[in-house]
Amino acid sequence: MLGNSMFAYYFNLALRSFRRNKVLTALMVLAIALGIGASMTTLTVFYVLSGDPVPTRSDQLYYVQMAPESMNGFTPGEEPAEQVTRFDAEKLLREKRGDRQAYMTGGGAAVTPDKQGLMPFQVDARYATADIFPMFDMPFLFGAGWSATEDERRGRVAVIAKALNDKLFGGANSVGKTVRMDKVDFTIVGVLDEWRPTPRFYDMNSDRFGELEQVFLPFSTSRDLKMGRNGSMDCWDDSNDSSDPEGSTGVNAPCVWIQYWVQLDSAAKAAAYKQYLTNYSDQQRSAGRFERPTNIRLRNVMDWLDYNKVVPGDVRLQVWLAFGFLLVCLLNTVGLLLAKFLRRSSEVGVRRALGASRRQIFTQCLVEAGTIGLAGGAVGLVLAWLGLWAVRQQPASYAELAHLDPLMLFTTVALALAASLVAGLIPAWQAMQVTPAMQLKSQ
Amino acid sequence: MELRPILSTLLRHKTAAALIVLEIALSCAIICNALFLIGNRVERLNLVSGVAEKEVVRVQLTGIGEDDNADALTSSDLALLRGLPGVKAATVTNQVPFVNSSWNTGVTMVKDQKQPTLSATIYMGDEQFLAALGPKVVAGRNFASDEFIEWSALDAPGSKISVPAVIITQSLADKLFPGQSAIGKSFYSWGENAIRVVGVVDHLVRPSEQGGAVAHEYSMIFPIHVPFSLGGNYLLRTDPARRDEVLKAAVAVLEKNSPNRIILEKNTKSMEDLRAQYYRQDRAMVWMLVAVILALLVVTALGIVGLASFWVQQRTKQIGVRRALGATRGQILRYFQTENFLLATIGIVLGMLFAYAINQLLMGKYELPRLPLFYLPAGAALLWLLGQVAVYGPARKAASVPPAVATRSA
Amino acid sequence: MLDMRQVTKVYRTAMVETHALRALDLHVKEGEFVAVTGPSGSGKTTFLNIAGLLEDFTGGEFTLDGENVKGLSDDARSRLRNQKIGFIFQGFNLIPDLNLFDNVDVPLRYRGMSAKDRKLRIEDSLGLVGLGSRMKHFPAELSGGQQQRVAIARALAGSPRLLLADEPTGNLDSQMARGVLELLEDINAQGTTIIMVTHDPELAARAQRNVHIVDGMATDLSVEPALIRVAQASGASAGTSA
Repeated sequence: MLGNSMFAYYFNLALRSFRRNKVLTALMVLAIALGIGASMTTLTVFYVLSGDPVPTRSDQLYYVQMAPESMNGFTPGEEPAEQVTRFDAEKLLREKRGDRQAYMTGGGAAVTPDKQGLMPFQVDARYATADIFPMFDMPFLFGAGWSATEDERRGRVAVIAKALNDKLFGGANSVGKTVRMDKVDFTIVGVLDEWRPTPRFYDMNSDRFGELEQVFLPFSTSRDLKMGRNGSMDCWDDSNDSSDPEGSTGVNAPCVWIQYWVQLDSAAKAAAYKQYLTNYSDQQRSAGRFERPTNIRLRNVMDWLDYNKVVPGDVRLQVWLAFGFLLVCLLNTVGLLLAKFLRRSSEVGVRRALGASRRQIFTQCLVEAGTIGLAGGAVGLVLAWLGLWAVRQQPASYAELAHLDPLMLFTTVALALAASLVAGLIPAWQAMQVTPAMQLKSQ
Repeated sequence: MELRPILSTLLRHKTAAALIVLEIALSCAIICNALFLIGNRVERLNLVSGVAEKEVVRVQLTGIGEDDNADALTSSDLALLRGLPGVKAATVTNQVPFVNSSWNTGVTMVKDQKQPTLSATIYMGDEQFLAALGPKVVAGRNFASDEFIEWSALDAPGSKISVPAVIITQSLADKLFPGQSAIGKSFYSWGENAIRVVGVVDHLVRPSEQGGAVAHEYSMIFPIHVPFSLGGNYLLRTDPARRDEVLKAAVAVLEKNSPNRIILEKNTKSMEDLRAQYYRQDRAMVWMLVAVILALLVVTALGIVGLASFWVQQRTKQIGVRRALGATRGQILRYFQTENFLLATIGIVLGMLFAYAINQLLMGKYELPRLPLFYLPAGAALLWLLGQVAVYGPARKAASVPPAVATRSA
Repeated sequence: MLDMRQVTKVYRTAMVETHALRALDLHVKEGEFVAVTGPSGSGKTTFLNIAGLLEDFTGGEFTLDGENVKGLSDDARSRLRNQKIGFIFQGFNLIPDLNLFDNVDVPLRYRGMSAKDRKLRIEDSLGLVGLGSRMKHFPAELSGGQQQRVAIARALAGSPRLLLADEPTGNLDSQMARGVLELLEDINAQGTTIIMVTHDPELAARAQRNVHIVDGMATDLSVEPALIRVAQASGASAGTSA
């Protein structure tokens, strides 16, 4: 039905018609472009924010939740605590029931650079155990993470990020060199390459779309040096009864403030681990440590992100708003196309008399609609690019991630084409109903 | 103006009429909700914080490594800061409003109550806390000098010290002790003993507005001397004109007092700036909503102009006939204006229903309240006006069709 | 060529039934030049619509160039129309956006011909009507007579078996009209069957045969020349047999 040459013919006719009606055509293209531009801007932001931060591992990494609190404030059926206690984290790590496991929390450190002329500055740090690096598939520029021995020895070792390495050592291989943090010398064992998991899935308590921590060091070392922590801590029962000098960060403190991640290579292993956690929780209850009924969660990365509603409500709202706007633009296009096609009913009548079938008229109209769609898509792409530029100027931490990637580019054009074809259906249908009749009077 | 002939004409051009109606309905629905969202955000932006924002500056710093002398250093810091020219009051505290981190705790009325009555935030302040930050005492009094305790003593392992007094906000007082004076009453929060309320302030918002519309002012002030290492916040009260000067002087003085600290420049600014930064996202959203409303109006107007022009062209002969039969230009003009008004009305009625439907959806997903009724006439008026403005051009063109057209058949 | 037996056409609306054609019989042989006359409302426009496969008919039989066209789908009728019939309208009905070349091109496009074939045919057609040198001009630049000639070229370009003309000279002054008529006679002389609807008795006289349609039925007037004058004078329902 639509051979190559017929398509070229219809395309040619469409272009002529545009040339004759420049203003009307421009308005239609603009309407589609505005709708597409707005929709693609918001959709791209949403897409960037809801993506998989560790696609190579996301189905193997699981976040552990249990309910260690006292009965105070207990509501049946609620979700368990969102972090674990230090006691549970250390115990689970010792028992090593997953393929890999690590616990971690956020912190901060004051770096005193050796370099002349550089003032001391504060960096975000992550206190973690050795497995974090292979588990999260973190890319290294130089060196590697530390080993479990360092965890046990509370070694003064650190892994630093590329940006810090550039700042302190000009980007050179700094493995083996020292960096002075919080008045203590740490030996650098590894330098991370560029890595920006979007979002920072492993810790939902700090800036979720912010930049990577600049320093990673063993958790035990951070406790040894009483380094400051960053994040959320939830304590139940006053810890004043204990004589623990570490207070709420002590091993036996009734506080949750640590994130526990485990790598399980198969669904069967995940089920088994969940069972293990249930047993563990029951044991703790009989030992008198846990008071609440056993409540275990083992969520993989994407489920965990979903549970935390990681895409900000504003972003979702903006997507809906933009698509509502696109719908109005489409209705507009339907109306204008209808006007355009029906204005030409005498021409349609002539063509039908000369042998065009209804389907051929329909196709001709759709080609015209599609051409407008493509033009609208092209302009819409420019508008989306501008829109994303505007988003990048915003103060939100995810702002700088807003970029058009090839998939979004393709989606823009495809959406514009699809939308314009759908918009053209009713007008084309009406156009093809024009009867071919002898009493056509030309005006 | 007879509505029936207009209606019957419209019914014969069902598709085009339906399109205009739908477009107006959808625009109306989106615009009503967008206006509502703007109202919401503007309300948030105008939140009363209780802080004298134009007069307060905040310095945030952190120590390098552990400082065993933090308490002494804090005292000397405060002495120096209070001595600076232009500084009316200076205090050290664990947290400030308009940032994303906060200290929160449960409050119970009875000892060993299983479920906390509510969660409130804790500001820890010294003698100059209220003077530095700005909330006004509306009942009771400020803390007495013997009511202050040291954080290091409170936090020490095995400590038996409890908080002797508390100042709460009016909002918290109304919730905990409705209809009565809160002064002299007590509740349980930190520690084993009840804490007595000695004063009530008019407003003090929680950091990061936690608690939403209901609980965002559930704040308590404990009389605790904290070292700078707990949160690292120094607050200074001064004249609006002297804020920059005071900030610079404060930073210089603190750096000189100990080389072992880092001033966090990103977070060291006036309270006004802190608030502006905190609400930047909301402001951006408001602008975006305004842009969408404008764009919708433009697009809808263009659609109406397009379809109306087309209709006029289609009915040129009919118009000529009417004119030949005696209709004046004004009557033709009014015909099209009435037709547009009719379509707009149907569209707006539909639009109101859509608006409520959309609002229901948003209520469920984004914790928005119900759309108040007064937004509907606002949206309606906007679209009626828009329709009339848009149709004016084509209607004028229709009115200028000469009666001679009637006889010029072909 | 065209064979209609007892063709009827009824228009039905919710309230009214109109019999536009009743038991119309008409046979046109290949190569004939037939003029169709009749008062307004007689059904001659309906006849032309049906003859041109622009409309379907209610009852009777209709064979066109040997093919039975009863109950054909819209697609099939369009194809047949495209290949076998050429139309000439009273109002020319050229597409104003397109130049003369592209106007004559339109029916050929729906035929699916190659570009080379189309070009040849268009050049030949326009040459035949004497407008070969103005292929790139637009209809607005031509006089009425010239536009009608382009329409004729368009009708001929596809080598149709039958030309249907509806008041071809209705919008032309007498000089242009004469020119167009002479063209039609030439075309007929070369073997194309022509059925022409007209009001003009002089025009009708130039055709080989006259058929008069009144109240939905046809009367062949070529046999009774006297009846022609009677029919035209009264415009009322004339008698019968043929």
